[in-house]
Amino acid sequence: MYRYTEFDQRFIDERVAQYRQQTRRYLAGELTDEQFQQLRLRNGLYIQRLAPMLRVAAPYGTLSATQLRALADISRRYDKGYGHLTTRQNVQFNWPALEAVPDILADLATVEIHAIQTSGSCIRNITTDQFAGVAADEAVDPRPYCEITRQWSSQHPEFDWLPRKFKIAFNGAAADRAATQVHDIGIRVRRDAAGQDVLDFLVGGGLGRTPAIGGVIREGLAAEHLLTYLEAILRIYNRYGRRDNKYKARIKILARAMTLPGLKERVDAEWGHLQDGPGTLTAAEIERVKAHFAPPAYAQQADATALLAERRLASPAFNAWMRNNVAAHKAPGYAIATLSTKLTGVPPGDVTDVQMDAVADWADAYGHGEVRIGHEQNFILPDVPMGQLPELWERATAQGLAAANLGLLTDMVCCPGGDYCSLANAKSIPLAEAIQRRFDDRDYLHDLGQIDLNISGCMNACGHHHVGHIGILGVDKKGAEFYQVSLGGNAGDDASLGKILGPSFGREEVPDVIEGILDVFVQERREAEPFLHCVRRIGIEPFRQRAYANAG
Amino acid sequence: MPTLVKNLGVARDDWTLLEAPEANAHVPARAILPLAAWLEGSAALKARTDIGVWLAGDADPEANAAALAALPLLAIHIPAFADGRGLSLGALLRTRYGFGGELRAFGDILPDLAPYLHRCGFDAFVLADDRAAHAAIEAVGAITGHYQASATVPLPAFRRLARDAAEGVG
Repeated sequence: MYRYTEFDQRFIDERVAQYRQQTRRYLAGELTDEQFQQLRLRNGLYIQRLAPMLRVAAPYGTLSATQLRALADISRRYDKGYGHLTTRQNVQFNWPALEAVPDILADLATVEIHAIQTSGSCIRNITTDQFAGVAADEAVDPRPYCEITRQWSSQHPEFDWLPRKFKIAFNGAAADRAATQVHDIGIRVRRDAAGQDVLDFLVGGGLGRTPAIGGVIREGLAAEHLLTYLEAILRIYNRYGRRDNKYKARIKILARAMTLPGLKERVDAEWGHLQDGPGTLTAAEIERVKAHFAPPAYAQQADATALLAERRLASPAFNAWMRNNVAAHKAPGYAIATLSTKLTGVPPGDVTDVQMDAVADWADAYGHGEVRIGHEQNFILPDVPMGQLPELWERATAQGLAAANLGLLTDMVCCPGGDYCSLANAKSIPLAEAIQRRFDDRDYLHDLGQIDLNISGCMNACGHHHVGHIGILGVDKKGAEFYQVSLGGNAGDDASLGKILGPSFGREEVPDVIEGILDVFVQERREAEPFLHCVRRIGIEPFRQRAYANAG
Repeated sequence: MPTLVKNLGVARDDWTLLEAPEANAHVPARAILPLAAWLEGSAALKARTDIGVWLAGDADPEANAAALAALPLLAIHIPAFADGRGLSLGALLRTRYGFGGELRAFGDILPDLAPYLHRCGFDAFVLADDRAAHAAIEAVGAITGHYQASATVPLPAFRRLARDAAEGVG
């Protein structure tokens, strides 16, 4: 993991002092609500329906056990004893007092974390593959480039007052677990034939009101040019992106107006001025940051094949967890374990202080003191020795973190919705729970296979509904909450946006509608065909007919 | 009363901003003309070195960069405090087009924008009142070390720190 230098620490400490002074001026009446809003947003503080909400950055989803314990402690001291894992790999607190936020940030700074640029019209927390550095299918570990970009984007002199929020994701593996095609900039890191790290840049993807798939504007750029090329894109966006309408202000709209080749031409011309300038990364700097992410010393593990086979036979629950929640590791004898927060009855992504402390302890006991947060709102332990999986599973079961539903229908992505968020049109958490209660048969869920069900409470699409195989969007119809259902979205390698089935449904109808859709799938699927493939093959019409028949 | 901050101190403003001067009217010394009026003006007007020009945030100065860079003062309008276009425009004038005169920001300027303006090469900004002016001056020093190169710091932190280490500076 990256550890702060003196320079990094001083920057964070001074940023806390700066925010403390801004809060003091607001409370003294020297700043209007509107002025302070822009300042607090750049430090992750929203004013929500019930209370302020503070969004803390887990840089590219990585936390140390120490940092996670600090978050648990903050949830106890300043909140109601829980936090929420977001789809942007952050942690949110729903009940802090505005006056206490500078103290919270000061506490976070002591363990090298912050809330800088987790909201507002600026470059947001950089995200990546939650399995980065350990995945068996990885070509290049993207985390050093995420960290370099995190530093570069922190209070950039030109790019902290953009037309709109700006999201950058990196991926370095064969499978795209970072959804690079639906980010303002997606960067794919790979190694070229000469063994050098090179970058492919995608621009103009995004969800929200006008969902779009990003297009490639540069391929095979040497990694040393990362920051100058980013600077060129951001400068074009900052100067020419629309500012008259916040719904048309993302770079995807500029990309559409200029066309992708037109945007590329502008960016390349701008980059011509910056290429090989002082912003070019030095080999020494890339090596310095890479050294922080050097693989830990993996020990020779005893062969656990027999032990695991025996335990899997003895316990169907453990067998299901092994099958769904444990992924292949690049080091022999180790595995990547995902601890699901999607237990029926618990809002997806919510974790208590006790759970956070427990996960931190397991990160130490069954790994190298590191935890990940995935964009599917789960915790990941990246370095678990295979022989310790049964013990981890038992302890996770006792803490309600061993739901064996990873990638299955009930592993839903869900925003906080109308229960918490002042932007939402509709509640999302009770709907998620109703669907989980309807479909809680483990064997049935496993037979259905991988189905991404994503729920957003409004057009802002925090629940990424456009890229759910099944997407559900809360809409407001004359003051009542309704839900629009779409099919065929995907966030992976071949990203696609879901197609809307038709008119929206009442909340109580939705589980029946989902059941109808699944019935059609079971009837129409060929052998073990995945849900997404089936939808793509037969189209949405058969699903539409059944859904509206089921909804009565 | 609007208060000018120049070189991080409160200063008297000797210049007069003309929002929409009439065509062919006499332009006094130390007037700041809109870019369009200056572009449409006579060769004699363009040759004057005792007047300034102001630009909107979306102006594209590239075609006239050399002539603009010879003026003693350029001002950039910030229509709303969260509108960052002026930052890019100012940085370009300073670092790419070699403008060495007074670079001034005016409009809706929150004191907290001052550190960004300063780093993008602005040496003057007009704040709403005296209190805001002092808050802006104070804000500039809040963070002593940034990661990026800027108009005030020519190298990014990774090059500065590497150089310091090589020279044995702490």
